[in-house]
Amino acid sequence: MNNRVPKSLPAEIRPSLFSGHDWIALAIVCLTFVIPFTSTNPQVLSQTNLILIAATAALGVYIMQRLDLMSFAVPSFMAIGGYTVALLSMKLQLTDVFVLAAAAFLMPALCAIPLGALILRLKGVYFVLVTFVLTEIVQLLLFEAGPITGGSNGLVGMPAVKIFGMELWDNPHVLLTTCGLAFVSFIVTSVFTRWFRSEFAAIETNDVLAESLGLAAWKYKAMAFSVAAGVSGLAGFALVNMLLTAHPSSFAPMSSVNYITYTIVGGKASILGTLIGALLLVSATDYFALSGEMSPGLFGLLIIVVTMVARGGVVGVVSGLLYRLAGQSPPLKNGEQDLGVNGEKGQ
Amino acid sequence: MTIGLGRLVCGSLLASAGFVGAVSACELKIGVPAVLSGPAAQWGIALRGATEFVAKETMEEKRLVINGVACTVSVKSIDSKYSAEGAASATSALAAEGIKVIIGPVGSPEVTGFKPVATRNRMVAMVNSFAKNSIGPEWPTVFHIGPGPSGWAAPIIDVGLQRYKFKTAAIVAPNDQGGTDIASVNADIFKQRGVTVTEEYYQRGTTNFAPIVTRIMASNAEALDLASSPAGDAGIIVKQIRQAGFTGPIFRLGGPGTDEIARVAGGLDILKDFLWYEPVYMDDNMRALEQKYEKLMGSVRPENSDFFRWTFAARMMIKAIQAAGTIDNAEKIAAAMRTLPVEDEHIGKGYWIGQKFFGINQEMSYPFAIGVIQGGVKQPLIRAEAVSEK
Amino acid sequence: MESFIATGLIGISLGTQYTLLALGFTLIFGILGVVNFAHGGFYVMGGYVAYYCNVILGLPYPVAVLMAMLSMAALGWLFEAFILERVIEDHQATLMVTMGFYLVMATAILMIFGAESPQFPFPVTGVWRLGGIYFPYANMIVLGACLAAIVFVYWLVYRTNIGRGMRAMSEDLPVASALGMRTKALFPFAFALATGLAGGTGALVTPILALAPHVGDSVLAFSFLTVILGGLGSVTGATCAAFIVGLIEAYAAVYLGGSKGALTLFALVLIILVVRPQGLLGREVRRS
Repeated sequence: MNNRVPKSLPAEIRPSLFSGHDWIALAIVCLTFVIPFTSTNPQVLSQTNLILIAATAALGVYIMQRLDLMSFAVPSFMAIGGYTVALLSMKLQLTDVFVLAAAAFLMPALCAIPLGALILRLKGVYFVLVTFVLTEIVQLLLFEAGPITGGSNGLVGMPAVKIFGMELWDNPHVLLTTCGLAFVSFIVTSVFTRWFRSEFAAIETNDVLAESLGLAAWKYKAMAFSVAAGVSGLAGFALVNMLLTAHPSSFAPMSSVNYITYTIVGGKASILGTLIGALLLVSATDYFALSGEMSPGLFGLLIIVVTMVARGGVVGVVSGLLYRLAGQSPPLKNGEQDLGVNGEKGQ
Repeated sequence: MTIGLGRLVCGSLLASAGFVGAVSACELKIGVPAVLSGPAAQWGIALRGATEFVAKETMEEKRLVINGVACTVSVKSIDSKYSAEGAASATSALAAEGIKVIIGPVGSPEVTGFKPVATRNRMVAMVNSFAKNSIGPEWPTVFHIGPGPSGWAAPIIDVGLQRYKFKTAAIVAPNDQGGTDIASVNADIFKQRGVTVTEEYYQRGTTNFAPIVTRIMASNAEALDLASSPAGDAGIIVKQIRQAGFTGPIFRLGGPGTDEIARVAGGLDILKDFLWYEPVYMDDNMRALEQKYEKLMGSVRPENSDFFRWTFAARMMIKAIQAAGTIDNAEKIAAAMRTLPVEDEHIGKGYWIGQKFFGINQEMSYPFAIGVIQGGVKQPLIRAEAVSEK
Repeated sequence: MESFIATGLIGISLGTQYTLLALGFTLIFGILGVVNFAHGGFYVMGGYVAYYCNVILGLPYPVAVLMAMLSMAALGWLFEAFILERVIEDHQATLMVTMGFYLVMATAILMIFGAESPQFPFPVTGVWRLGGIYFPYANMIVLGACLAAIVFVYWLVYRTNIGRGMRAMSEDLPVASALGMRTKALFPFAFALATGLAGGTGALVTPILALAPHVGDSVLAFSFLTVILGGLGSVTGATCAAFIVGLIEAYAAVYLGGSKGALTLFALVLIILVVRPQGLLGREVRRS
């Protein structure tokens, strides 16, 4: 793996910012803007909405994966973002979508800084367990802080959000809002993770070594945690906007498992994996819903099979196959071009 | 012979032409977002069974005739997974098929996710859920199949007070909407009757209730209300509080499930003195309805006794559609529903209520029943009259 | 004072249950480096196997408990040898696989036994009382079983060749295999031991509490808390932590109330982790 630690490379020496996978992912998210204008089918609208929200939330997991940390904290930050939006629009009548989106990003991102100072020292399984406990705590706090969060009833009856004074209240407009939030999140995530990719690669491979070579690992970790929180907050905004309700059950601790699954099953090596994972698994969940009580089991079986058969996720396997078909070896041993299968990792 | 055959062919052609005409003119599709997976599946199965039964009944007996054409009625049910997202997604899928008439969903989180989507897609609905905001003026086309504890807790507590002496009571429920909404309503009703109340909330997922039981014992409560604690949890609470030496009466003012509570607790002896809300009073009329279901559907009715309330609700919806004369204008159907009296051929007359509690008079109130176990022996159900707000 | 002692007794019975669960969980982590998300599944399935043997087949309760342990050990062995072993080097893949297996197990139970709780009573009823203090006999039996299990695990890990092998492998796998340890045989054995313990716990505890397909969910959360607190991979740490968690949970819940008690417990664990990331008795952080 790449142990070279560039302290700060001037931008012109850096190879092109986005990889092929980033462009594909961004193009797909961009294409979803077409759906609200062309389709009136509520199921298409609702499915697209759910997939985009899931993918946006899973970006929080993806970002932390750059540092080899598996985060269960996504629902916590989604809750902070979602409740911030609900409170602003209900208590202060702030309904402008730009103001709300900024708040939904900044509030969780700010909360993440002191939290990160506490827990980013932890690694591996300890980080997994602590973030898991954190989501449990946030869930309990939502219940206990009744006067602010509405307790177990949540906050119901938000007004519709507005863009330039125009209300975005019906199905296509709600999806349009989600598309916009997802697009912003994907741009932010890809720019952020690609800009600092050498630093992240160094920390992921060996953070002690990186630090001893003069890389301020804590700074990048804190930034990543904060951006991951902000992006999760945007997903929380989209979810709350879709349901017109900020409800504790939307941010259940076990939902973090889903977001991790999307990222890993899709392929944790690139942002495209997160999107494809969300697309496949949300559709699968919807399809399995027809088989009633069998559905969780089928979902579990799918996870096992994909994990065992497709190491490196769906995207990793597919792009590996494509490279093989084209007669090239995938350019993945090079940290600079790191976009393919990244399944095998040192102990 | 040939002429006869010709006539027959002609006749059937005409008939099918008429049928095709009818399909394009009046084909009612009822959407059912029902929980069909997980621990709450039995509730959704009762909802689905009742709606399918009413659909068949409507067609067989030509109960829905619009512009002189008997309508076909079909049911489309989708798993709403007992979550807000699940219900929102199921409702969107129903809306995708142009469905405007909804029966369901069952639980509080589902109804929370359902209402905004239903309102956006201009649907008319009959929902359940014991939440404090199940229905309301914000959702004018959403109706409630029957009251929560605000409607029936008072008469049950009165029966309890007649049979047992208690001045203090403890209410235990999970610390989420499904628990707090019901426990707080029950608490108010106990207080109105001069009973001092302590409320205990536990984290959903708790498996050992010994600490909660210790708190209840320390509060010197003489009666206990399990409110809407899930039957499995309620069973453990009963088992552990009897082990701790509690001898007072136990209420279950939050829905059925007494059989399961008894199984987990270890038998009727452990329940000892127990009172609960039963959605319907089983009498000859109800048995006639059961038989009708068997005859029409060819199988036994769904086990969950909310089947009956869903049947009454679905029939009410059909009547409203008939009165409105449209199968796809939700506002008109809702307006027609408000003017109709609450009445069903099997359970009899009821009332529209809800103004006092929800701020909107769109809740059907029918007679119900009170279940009693005394000294470990199941007593016959007590019939309770429909609650009225007048 | 009476209620203080009564609460302590509750804390101890909670502690015994958590010890039984945490021992298996921490063994799997210590030896295989795997966080077993399916642990709760083995617990519930153990409960159902015991129920099936005891109530449906009419076998004596102790035999039913034994059957639950053996069948869950067998299932654990098969799962480790045929599925988990293939992805064992990638800790995220092991997480996914055990998570998926939990969903499969929970669904299988739901399909076979239905969603509602069956009647599965503990064979011994009755309560020991002294004034306001009480302790059900059933809980005493579980306490005894727990002590036996702790002794057994200690004996196995510290006094037998298998245990030495397992400990060597958890210290340094490459060196251990270079010295001739047969990881292929020891990994499934360790996993089977842990899942057998979980199954036995289910058989012992579900009749005291309740048996239902979903009761495994909270098992996972509490096993997490216990092993974090005790230090992942440490048997002594897990045992101490289980009783600490049990006592804190009991006292916090009794004196602060249900959901505030849970909040106190979580917050306390978070603080301990931040101050002492390796847990009470954990060693250096293992990078798996």
